[in-house]
Amino acid sequence: MASTQHALLSPAELAYLHAALSLTPPIRPDGRSPAQFRPLVAETGILPGTNGSARICFADGTEAIVGVKAEVERTRGGYEGEIVEGGGAEEVVTDVNDEEKKGESDWVEMTVEIPGLRDDDATTAFLGAMISEALLADGGFSRRLWINRRFHWKLYLDILLISPPLSYPLPLLSLTTHLALLATRLPRLKSEGDEDPFFDDDWAAARYLYPRNKKDGKTTARPPVTLLVMAVGNNIIFDPAKEELAVADVALAVSIGEDATTAATATGDDASLMMDVDSTTAAAAITSARNLRLLSIRTIDPPSRLTPSGVPNATNTAYGAATTQKQPEARTAEAEAVEGVWRAPRGGAKPLVMAALVHKVLEKGGIADEVLDALHAVDLG
Amino acid sequence: MTDRRRINGPVGATIPLVFEDVEDYEQVATKAARSRAPNAVRKMYLKTGVTPSASGSAYLEIETSGKGGVSGLKLSCTVYGPRSLPRSSPFSPHIILSTHVKYAPFATKQRRGYLRDPAERDLGSHLEAALRGAIIADRWPKSGVDIIVSIIEGDQDRETSKTQGDEAWDIMNALSGCITVASAALADAGIDCVDTVAGGVAALVRDTADSSPSIVVDPIPSEHEKILASCCVAYLPTRNEVTNLWYKGDLPASDMELYTKLVEKGIQASTNANRVLLECLGETVN
Amino acid sequence: MPVTILAPKAMRQDYGQADKQNISDDSDDADSSNGGAELDYAELAKADAEGHTHKRPRIAGGDFEIVTPGEVITDDPQWMRGHGTYVAAGTTSIISSVAGTITRTNKLLSVRPLRARYTPEVGDLVVGRIVEVQAKRWRVDVGATQLASLPLSAINLPGGILRKRTETDELQIRTFFAEGDLLVAEVQQLFQDGGAVLHTRSLKYGKLRNGMFVAVSGMGGGGGVVRSRRQVWTLEAASGGGPIDVVLGVNGYVWISKHVETPEGLVEKTSGITNLDESVSATMYSSQNDRIGPETMREIARIRGVVTALVDNGLRVDEDMVMRGYHEAVEMAMVSSVGADDIYLGGERGEQLAAVLTAV
Repeated sequence: MASTQHALLSPAELAYLHAALSLTPPIRPDGRSPAQFRPLVAETGILPGTNGSARICFADGTEAIVGVKAEVERTRGGYEGEIVEGGGAEEVVTDVNDEEKKGESDWVEMTVEIPGLRDDDATTAFLGAMISEALLADGGFSRRLWINRRFHWKLYLDILLISPPLSYPLPLLSLTTHLALLATRLPRLKSEGDEDPFFDDDWAAARYLYPRNKKDGKTTARPPVTLLVMAVGNNIIFDPAKEELAVADVALAVSIGEDATTAATATGDDASLMMDVDSTTAAAAITSARNLRLLSIRTIDPPSRLTPSGVPNATNTAYGAATTQKQPEARTAEAEAVEGVWRAPRGGAKPLVMAALVHKVLEKGGIADEVLDALHAVDLG
Repeated sequence: MTDRRRINGPVGATIPLVFEDVEDYEQVATKAARSRAPNAVRKMYLKTGVTPSASGSAYLEIETSGKGGVSGLKLSCTVYGPRSLPRSSPFSPHIILSTHVKYAPFATKQRRGYLRDPAERDLGSHLEAALRGAIIADRWPKSGVDIIVSIIEGDQDRETSKTQGDEAWDIMNALSGCITVASAALADAGIDCVDTVAGGVAALVRDTADSSPSIVVDPIPSEHEKILASCCVAYLPTRNEVTNLWYKGDLPASDMELYTKLVEKGIQASTNANRVLLECLGETVN
Repeated sequence: MPVTILAPKAMRQDYGQADKQNISDDSDDADSSNGGAELDYAELAKADAEGHTHKRPRIAGGDFEIVTPGEVITDDPQWMRGHGTYVAAGTTSIISSVAGTITRTNKLLSVRPLRARYTPEVGDLVVGRIVEVQAKRWRVDVGATQLASLPLSAINLPGGILRKRTETDELQIRTFFAEGDLLVAEVQQLFQDGGAVLHTRSLKYGKLRNGMFVAVSGMGGGGGVVRSRRQVWTLEAASGGGPIDVVLGVNGYVWISKHVETPEGLVEKTSGITNLDESVSATMYSSQNDRIGPETMREIARIRGVVTALVDNGLRVDEDMVMRGYHEAVEMAMVSSVGADDIYLGGERGEQLAAVLTAV
């Protein structure tokens, strides 16, 4: 959980940060605008021994590497015994319709390795579950791993954080996983039907896990991206740094994906509608008509609840010329909220605030759109 | 082109025939449809103080779908503490929560081991987030509390085949139960809370392949053809605040309405559970 | 555009003068040689044949000589070994134990590591964070290898500077400083193991509030805070920010806060020595922030941006650099598309700032 690695900050710092982030517009410690992400360096295809890989690093030296390995695995026989009914090899059906290509969630195995944390740490489990949950949300991903009725690809996703995290690493890990999956290629299948699979040795002929458009080399469907967003006062802040997260009222991790099939039809419709309009605006409409899917939302336990509260001057025994000793219990006594004194928040968040956070991510031309645009621009080599 | 370098066995046909009982087969075919109204939650039984040796405890049972041989959800929660932290641990101005959620090995169709698997750890962190918002942590500096939830029986229909229903959706119901039972046990242990927190689940389901999706509260995954999205909410009714929200599924992002409605229904389910919780605590006090 | 994704930079190759590589084709070259150092094997073999260890005449050379661990610096017995070196048993040769530059002080030879943690010295002004409270002292993180300690007897107790420490004070130790609190202090004494003892027995020291903290690497490597004449100063911020205090801890911890009237200032107004005592203790252990205007907060964040930009680009952090960087940043914001309120100095803008500063 976020709380286990909470930053040790003094009450005065927390009060200052909270005040600065509650202003309109908020003043972030590193001067970013509320929706601005930290600049990052990204590259893909860095590990030739893998099916797909990517690396992302921040200016502060935090760096993540993801490697994807694929293995052929025999699909466990279903209870219904489909193959038995199917008869022999003569009756091999080659045109299996999409509905039948059902994937299972255990075809993907994901591990997250964070230096300085135990393997069975709650943070690691939480991060792993978050990223794989988004990936498997609709079963559409595991369907890509279907080879034939008897075999499938088993995908191993290994996420490695190079240095101990300086901030909550979820967005970093998710973006790196996204790029690695985009760059993942599987050998071309040469066998047909339900035969034992047999593959083309030529790596150049390997097909992408996320097929690309021949024209511009861009993919239509894309793996999910998880964004971290938090609220302080009336402000919504993206990609928070560690000290910003420490004063969050609420923090959410929102996963979004982009669907291929429906995107194609949607853009097709749009294009036909826009026929008579100026062609440039039509083109713009097509690019913006991205079919985003909301895949998963989780509240991140904000570490702010575990921060030490400040002591107002009025009840501080070490304040003023307090030679007359007050009761030491004064520190624990409940105090009214005093301006300039940090108090750890209690309770949860209003449902309306949470809805606003999600809305901010998803709205048309919103952050999700822009993040995906930026990831589009990464050279996938 | 076949592989000539190896001697391959015959293609296909290696799995022995499995015959199903006619009776079973019919039952699967006429699978139980949801008999409750979309807004109705299942009945639940909650009792506190079931484990005398613990500082606080509670037991929760949720009614089955009515058929014989189907187990409902049975949860037991024990709370130990607040007690002082070990000497080696650093000073904490707040109470330290540690939550453990464990399925009994026999709770689900597939037997589970004794060690907690990642899914159970994940449930533990969700539960922690839900409870942390509810308790007044600075009332108990330098102390810790252990909250242990055992899922004695998972909410699974043993007559449905393995391919039907998905455990990924069952886990939402389990979490909502964990939150409610842990909240009752915390209150039983006398740990200060701002409000009682309870869990609720709502889902967007499709009953037949061609029907339009609808939102139901407290879904049983095996009763529906397909679950499109589901969310579990931990809600504080008097403060109107959510301490934990877990959504997963696949919804078009352009349709915020649908999502908002789903969360609203989740809150409604949680409010229902909370009513039971308050009644139960009232009984204990009397 | 909220996200900037940069392509990775090709590895920079610093070709030495003696290097006879073809520099014109450096993009391909960078890939093939992988940035590794090339050894002149012929020369090595010759040295072996002559029965010498591979050793260059270090002492006679230029100012910046870089040695690596295990490298013989000199075998001339006239030199004395200092930090970062050792003498092998039975010989007189001084061998480097760290990678860094050689410094000579009279006859003392020492090697300054390229990167190191802060090593406290008596009199250093440091910013530290309390990590542990014990019965009669605090343990303070100052970025050194050991936690520094601050005894209860080394602070000014409320109600008069020279008040005697009582048992009540020991019981209430957490009301002065608790875990997480930031403070500015001076190194009073050093232990043999490198641990430092701090004190805050001065009006300039004590708990920090009304501002923001940033940790940068201290000492060595070109970047970071360097020991200088003034570690603490007040500057008049641009665009109505008012006076702002900057504390550059020698240990690389930096505190930037709104300037509050110091007790000295109060003395002039009230001119009473007893009032001085009281006002000292009044603010010394407070964790309540004063009211701070948004303009001031913006300028504080800008200074923080300048400090991080300096460190990211390997420049030293001292009063001169921070002041010049700050004025430059204000001017950069003037011509920025967003306007004077634009205080972002990360990524390319930080590099731009550093380029301007080094160009002068």
